[in-house]
Amino acid sequence: MLIFFSQETSHLLEQYKISFNVQQLSDFSEWEKDRIVPSAFVIEGSNQQYVASILGKIRRDSEVFASLCFSTALLTSPDSSLLDGLLPSALELQKQIDATQDLLRSLKGKDAYLTHQGRLINYLWLRPNYVLQPYHEWKNSRFYRYPLLEAMSLDQSDSFEWLRNLANSKILETISLMDRQRECMYCRSSHLSFIDTCPNCSAIDIKLQPSLHCFTCGCVDAQDKFMHSGILVCPKCHTHLRHIGSDYDRPLENYSCQACHHSFIEGDVQVRCAICEKEMDPNELILNEIHSWRLSDKGRTIAFRGEVFDLSSGFNQLDFISRELFIHDLDWLMVMARRYPNINFSLFGIYFANLPDLVELFNHSRLLQMLESFAQRLRNLLRTPDLSTRTSENMLWLLLPNTDEQGLFGFQKRIEKSMDKLLEESDYKLDCRFVSVNSQKLSNKENAELLLARLFGELL
Amino acid sequence: MESLLQAWYVFRVTFSQYPDVQYVLMLIPFVLFFELPLYFVNWMGVFRFVIKDAVEAPLTLPYYPRVTCAITCYAEGKAVQNTVISLMEQIYPGHIEIIAMVDGVQKNIATYRALKELYSVIPRYSKRSLIIIPKIQRGGRVSSLNAGLSRAQGEIFLALDGDTSFDNQMIHSAVLHFQNPNVVAVTGPMRVRNARKSLITRMQDLEYMLTMQIGKLGFAKLNVINNVPGAFGIFRRAFLQKIGGWNTGTAEDLDLTLRIKKYHARYPQLQIGFEPLAVSHTDVPETFKDFFKQRLRWDGDLWYIYSNKHRSGISVANMGWANFIFLLWYGILFQIIMPFAIVIYTIYMAVVLPLHIFILSMTLVYVFYVCLVLIQFLAYLMIISDRKWRDCAAFLILPLYPFFQFIARVWSAFAIANQIFNKGHLDSAMAPLWVLKKGKQ
Repeated sequence: MLIFFSQETSHLLEQYKISFNVQQLSDFSEWEKDRIVPSAFVIEGSNQQYVASILGKIRRDSEVFASLCFSTALLTSPDSSLLDGLLPSALELQKQIDATQDLLRSLKGKDAYLTHQGRLINYLWLRPNYVLQPYHEWKNSRFYRYPLLEAMSLDQSDSFEWLRNLANSKILETISLMDRQRECMYCRSSHLSFIDTCPNCSAIDIKLQPSLHCFTCGCVDAQDKFMHSGILVCPKCHTHLRHIGSDYDRPLENYSCQACHHSFIEGDVQVRCAICEKEMDPNELILNEIHSWRLSDKGRTIAFRGEVFDLSSGFNQLDFISRELFIHDLDWLMVMARRYPNINFSLFGIYFANLPDLVELFNHSRLLQMLESFAQRLRNLLRTPDLSTRTSENMLWLLLPNTDEQGLFGFQKRIEKSMDKLLEESDYKLDCRFVSVNSQKLSNKENAELLLARLFGELL
Repeated sequence: MESLLQAWYVFRVTFSQYPDVQYVLMLIPFVLFFELPLYFVNWMGVFRFVIKDAVEAPLTLPYYPRVTCAITCYAEGKAVQNTVISLMEQIYPGHIEIIAMVDGVQKNIATYRALKELYSVIPRYSKRSLIIIPKIQRGGRVSSLNAGLSRAQGEIFLALDGDTSFDNQMIHSAVLHFQNPNVVAVTGPMRVRNARKSLITRMQDLEYMLTMQIGKLGFAKLNVINNVPGAFGIFRRAFLQKIGGWNTGTAEDLDLTLRIKKYHARYPQLQIGFEPLAVSHTDVPETFKDFFKQRLRWDGDLWYIYSNKHRSGISVANMGWANFIFLLWYGILFQIIMPFAIVIYTIYMAVVLPLHIFILSMTLVYVFYVCLVLIQFLAYLMIISDRKWRDCAAFLILPLYPFFQFIARVWSAFAIANQIFNKGHLDSAMAPLWVLKKGKQ
């Protein structure tokens, strides 16, 4: 069955009526009365705004968001990425519908697809070659937008933020880098203006003022003061300056502030955000890379397994901090420990060597249960100021401040004990390895990044 | 003057004892006929300039046409930056377009890089632009200049050398001449930048002051300037394009000057000007070897230009009387015949006269020249020099200058002979080493 949206009575779909049951509607609200799910929607394309509005409503609907949508004319707006293209011939259309139905059948756990993430996976699963493309739009405060993400999240979340989460959980993977842009550190807008200011008083009223240096008497002054009826004469010693390099030169001061008369070579550059009107330094700007994306293998796995085996969910109660923050804090502690001998901390790593293999072999929920109980025990062992992070699915790091070598030893003993208990209860052979180091044993040359890499190397 | 009189007295006394006076007396008319009138004419010209300069207060209307500076670059390397910067530094309200032609750019990549570095400096100056033309195939100066001319957009075209830099009022003062529509070319004084390097550079410094500055100023007032140098020539672009730019061959600057002069009979109002304030600074050879090499080319080229290229062009019908006489006199007699006459005459005297008389007569000639140079130099210091104190240093080497002149003349004779018999212009790079070694090292 096809549902054909058209503002006027149209006979465009006459030839399709042989193989399809075509129902013509003029508005989406009309469809909402019956909510009959068709094999595909077709939208009459002469009015772009009309197409965009219907298309937006379909993609934001909780039921038919992933349905095939065709238009009778091509759309030029970014919303065209929500469309499955021009209406193909009846034969081709049937093929596409069949292929989509096949994919839909292999999609599991349809109840899970009520969340935004689920909708997106569903949508991308049905379109194996779909590329999530950024669209450049100057009116947008971030310059780029992903219309599909907006539609799938029902315009609730920031596309870039969501995209980062999707990338972190490896549901999407990048195809190519489209652009790299700087964004306001406050509102993430990329409508920025750059302005040179005086490094002394930050006034913007600065002027390029060439100044000269007389070799005869060493006088340095603004060029205007040297000019006398078309020749250069030193205002101090009245030497006629004829030749650069032998009579005079240009010292480096080139700008002069009109407010405080400070002379300088290079002005400070200030960035002003056009959206939030805050000012910042150019190196405070946030670098954002704009990619095109597609569904990753993991995303596809989720789609056809119908469940997400997300290891992180097993450790959810551990309150992980981000890897960057963890490294930052570790770095800071390492610097502190170097400077003040009484500062003492330990780093502890837990590596589940065969976890990915177990995931492939066994029932996920039971594995998950086991990890959850391990996390529970671990959580009881940790103190409030302890930090934890995950650098990969099966690698946990714990940062234990104020823990000396003895404390660390005790900690490891307790962890091993709880792990043994856990293994006794289950029939899995979970290969669990530990690594630890105390701040007193750290070399001075190492930084946090190198330290983690070195310890990880020891575990392998 | 006293020493001159004394020498003259001793000369007469010695003479009276010998019968063959007539041989020696040849010396006096020889000098008188050849050189003195030329100096006299020159001084008249300078005198005219002094009077005019003192009496006339010329009306200078604002005139700032677009100017193109074409710089021929070869192996100057970083030094080329001085040239370009001195042009950007000009105090001139009009637009200055700088075109740098790098000949044989693959070989002279350092020069090309040095020029490219300047792209970052250009925005600091207003109304200045830089175009670099890398010429992959080496084509020589003429091809570079013509390439620059074809790209030029300025009304005034300056043909400049990559190792020459300029005072900052050069363009402004030179361009004023072109307000007169009859002026087609202007040149200015060339000063020696590396005068303090060695004795030979100091000598050349003095030579440039006397010939390039006071000499040209005098001749310019009579509109018979001998040469617009290739390192520093300022032209009206439209005229230059009309006469087809530069011609192939060495000494393209002299060739061009002669070609301009050939229009003088038809267009007597054409002028080649000289601007004392348009000062350029150039480097001269620092060793005797390089000096001789340079002069071998320059003096040899004189013969090549006069006898080969412009043999039939040097005529009253083409050039008009003034230029014809001047060319015959200065160009042919002074520059080509004199060197030979001096060599032959010196050898003749050395052979014929007894040694002490020969030495005495040589002393007399020396004193005569010292006086001549002294008068010239004083006139220069008083009238033209814009760096009087610096130029005073030349007093120290002034007594040696006649020797330098003599050596240069002898070498000039050799160079011309080399050109006549050896076709030296075809290998303008250098002479055989054994010849060079004969010179003072």
